[in-house]
Amino acid sequence: MKTFFAFLKKENMELIRSGRLALLLLLFVLFGIMNPAIAKMTPWLIKMMASSLENTGLLITEIKVDAMTSWTQYYKNIGMLLIIFVLFVSNTLTKEYQKGTLILVLTKGLSRFKVVLAKTVVNMLLWTLCYWMCFGITYGYNAYFWDNSIALHLFYAAFCYWLFGIWILSLVVFFSSVTQSNTSVLIGTGGIIIVLRLLSMFSSTKKYLPIKLMEGFSLLTADAYVKDYNIAVIITIIFSLVCIGCSIISFNRKMI
Amino acid sequence: MEMLTVSHIYKAFGKKKVLSDLSFSVPEGSVFGFVGQNGAGKTTTMKTILGLIAADSGEICINGESVSYGQNTTNRYVGFLPDVPEFYSYMTPKEYLDFCGEITGMETKKIKSRTVELLTLVGLENENRHIKGFSRGMKQRLGIAQALLNQPKLLICDEPTSALDPIGRKEILDILVSSKEQTTVLFSTHILSDVERICTEVAFINDGKIAISGTLEKIRNMHPAAGFEIELEHSEDADKLLSVFSGGKKLTERHLTFNESDELKMIEVLGFIVEQKLSLKKVERLETTLESLFLEVVGE
Repeated sequence: MKTFFAFLKKENMELIRSGRLALLLLLFVLFGIMNPAIAKMTPWLIKMMASSLENTGLLITEIKVDAMTSWTQYYKNIGMLLIIFVLFVSNTLTKEYQKGTLILVLTKGLSRFKVVLAKTVVNMLLWTLCYWMCFGITYGYNAYFWDNSIALHLFYAAFCYWLFGIWILSLVVFFSSVTQSNTSVLIGTGGIIIVLRLLSMFSSTKKYLPIKLMEGFSLLTADAYVKDYNIAVIITIIFSLVCIGCSIISFNRKMI
Repeated sequence: MEMLTVSHIYKAFGKKKVLSDLSFSVPEGSVFGFVGQNGAGKTTTMKTILGLIAADSGEICINGESVSYGQNTTNRYVGFLPDVPEFYSYMTPKEYLDFCGEITGMETKKIKSRTVELLTLVGLENENRHIKGFSRGMKQRLGIAQALLNQPKLLICDEPTSALDPIGRKEILDILVSSKEQTTVLFSTHILSDVERICTEVAFINDGKIAISGTLEKIRNMHPAAGFEIELEHSEDADKLLSVFSGGKKLTERHLTFNESDELKMIEVLGFIVEQKLSLKKVERLETTLESLFLEVVGE
């Protein structure tokens, strides 16, 4: 256990000293502020354009902005944030293969599964921190400017997207343990998502797939029920655990 | 007692055979030189010993325990220095050694004392910079420090001196010599003067198997003195010598070599030179050098 925490400590030091932590936090805070800010500015922006739009024959009536406008922004942006996050952390293992830094660590007798677990835990904790911070900021502003109570199941919907991110990160670890380069990790992870996207076009399978968790916004507007997501939540948790398990097995056999 | 035994190891990468029936053993307390050309299979052998590469067949034992690929329990006996050690560049040397101690499961107190001791040994005690700015020699020295941290029974160094300038090389060799009191050393190299300087045992690897191995002394005795060379002022004198004494060979017009190790033969030849008043330029006894042996082994 002590050796595991030692490796965890090193991972944290790397996050801090490489500046990655600061950059990610900054990015997520910015996005957290941007969601309500854009919503708040929408009427003003449209008013600015009103005169030119009038010339084309479009008539602008009063624009109503509320917490839902801001949450719409949130769910539009969070996908982009997840992609950026994955780009940031996807080289966590491949970078070590390429530099050869793991050779000394493993020849010191550190068990291989601890390396995989430490990397997984750090990435997932980082995602959790960034994600909920972004959510918290948007939530706070929304509560201040408008009223969050018009959005239903806010937290469950947010949890669904967070869990989707966790699953993506377990895919990143899995592909990092079977391939050598960062590019193949990204291609592998992206490939799985594309395949699931295609599968989800058949409405019968969709509710079983992790992809379903990306659509948490429907919960807010009561277009969907909590129970519609339960199966996907359970399946995603199982998928993630299987991915991590497979990563450990594959990393144990990896030539380094 | 044998600290390391490698028996009948085979390894191929695809169709390319790298190791075929490689066997040798390293006795406790020795400094074992593992000599071979680039691409002879030295690094593959070492990585197999460390469980980083799976052998196709054969067995490796460290301190009596069998090495299994992937899981690295036998590595607790081992300190390893790769040819180009790579560290986490954002750490200082002290932080890196602390980290190494912690992942090895050493006690905090022990880590502290060993870190100070080793950084002093390798001359990095006042370096508080991040490793990023280190020269190759400094990295190599830090590499030795991390390898010796948990007082390993076996220190494995993969070409520790190959990439260094003469001063850096001397420093590393001195450190290796000073550590041989506490540990058995196995180091691979293609620099023969390093072997002659610090090794007690040596093995030549060629085409994936051991060509010769044994103590340095034994190997030298296997091929005793290799004859002598004579250089004369005039070419006709050289011809005269050749016609009288058998076993000579012309290297150039005036330069002869005799491949016999018999000392009397040289005295006889010299006697003849004096008697006939031939003008002699140079006479030299040839000794078997590791280099000549090595060239013989690799078939050049």
